[in-house]
Amino acid sequence: MAESVKVLPEEIQDIINVHEWDMRTREGVQRFRELKAKSLPSVALDGELVWESLIPMQEELIAEIRQRFEEKNQGV
Amino acid sequence: MTDKKKSQRFVFQTRGICPPEIHFQLRQGLLEDIRFVGGGCTGNAQLVARLLKGRPLEEVLQYLDGIDCRNGTSCPHQLNLALRAAEDGRLAPADSFRIYYDPQPRHRIGLIAGLEGDSQALETLLEKMADAALDAIYCLGNLTGKSLQNKQLVRLIRKQEIPAILGETDWQFARGKEAEDLPLLDQNVRDWLIRFPHVVSFGMETKKGMAFFGDYIQKLPGYSDFEPFALEMNMVCGLTNFMQEQAVFPALEAMIPQFEADIILFSQINRWGHWHVAGKDFISLGPAAEPEGLSWGLLEADSGEIRFERMVIDL
Repeated sequence: MAESVKVLPEEIQDIINVHEWDMRTREGVQRFRELKAKSLPSVALDGELVWESLIPMQEELIAEIRQRFEEKNQGV
Repeated sequence: MTDKKKSQRFVFQTRGICPPEIHFQLRQGLLEDIRFVGGGCTGNAQLVARLLKGRPLEEVLQYLDGIDCRNGTSCPHQLNLALRAAEDGRLAPADSFRIYYDPQPRHRIGLIAGLEGDSQALETLLEKMADAALDAIYCLGNLTGKSLQNKQLVRLIRKQEIPAILGETDWQFARGKEAEDLPLLDQNVRDWLIRFPHVVSFGMETKKGMAFFGDYIQKLPGYSDFEPFALEMNMVCGLTNFMQEQAVFPALEAMIPQFEADIILFSQINRWGHWHVAGKDFISLGPAAEPEGLSWGLLEADSGEIRFERMVIDL
């Protein structure tokens, strides 16, 4: 998953912070449960589970990030 | 690189003195805990441990030189050797939990769990299980409990040389930190408990198995997510809540290719269960004594297949 994030365009990289959780660890398992995820890989944006069992296409990922960014920055 | 700020636990194998092991912890040059395990003058050893607790290593070392008791050595002398070995890196910190590796490949294993001090139940089970052509018996914790027979039970396990795995109550007893409502236990029994393993590793034909009690192991000082079998324990305890949350089994399946073990046994939830997920067998062992009788588990390997059955003995 981290690989697909690394190749995102620079303007997207500039507006996101990425955290990859290692499911082998207790910390990773705890985060997985907090997100109420069921399968792997799972992708959450702003603490909300968005994709499960799949890595989204780059266009889809970019569109979702842009939409959330715009919603958060409305009127700014 | 080791993190000196964290407490590090050491186990030193002694020579020439009564206790075969000395356990101690060091944190930032201070001696945190000392335990002479498995023999010797228990009262004196406890006093020494109290006097030295919290003292800087360099201060402690000056008291330990030149004391002879037998065989040209003594408990202080062996502690001296142990502390110096830990200080200069010849003695590595101990793993957070102890694993017993059963050297014999097995085909039919009898499993007993949750005895909670019921030595009579163990005696009866062993008698009945003698007819089952087993090539091994393992006892999973809790071995001890709110019973006045804890001592007899530990003695019987030792006498029969049964590989026994510490449960959470057993571990508390071993460290002298049991709940107030539990009965007193002799120091020598505690010493035997502390030398029991937390995990048993075994082989059945081409399959590898591991048995543990439950999630207290994850809280042991120094526990690492990358120790042997830690992944299996993290998945059973943390991810699936002891296989009770089947909704997360897809995630479990994704992690299973990284497992070291094919058979995973646990006993914390006091309930019988068998789940076969992505080629691995997960088995929860219920308590030995239940209203309908005494129970044990039969684990069998046959041509690469694992079979598990709960056996109930009517009383």
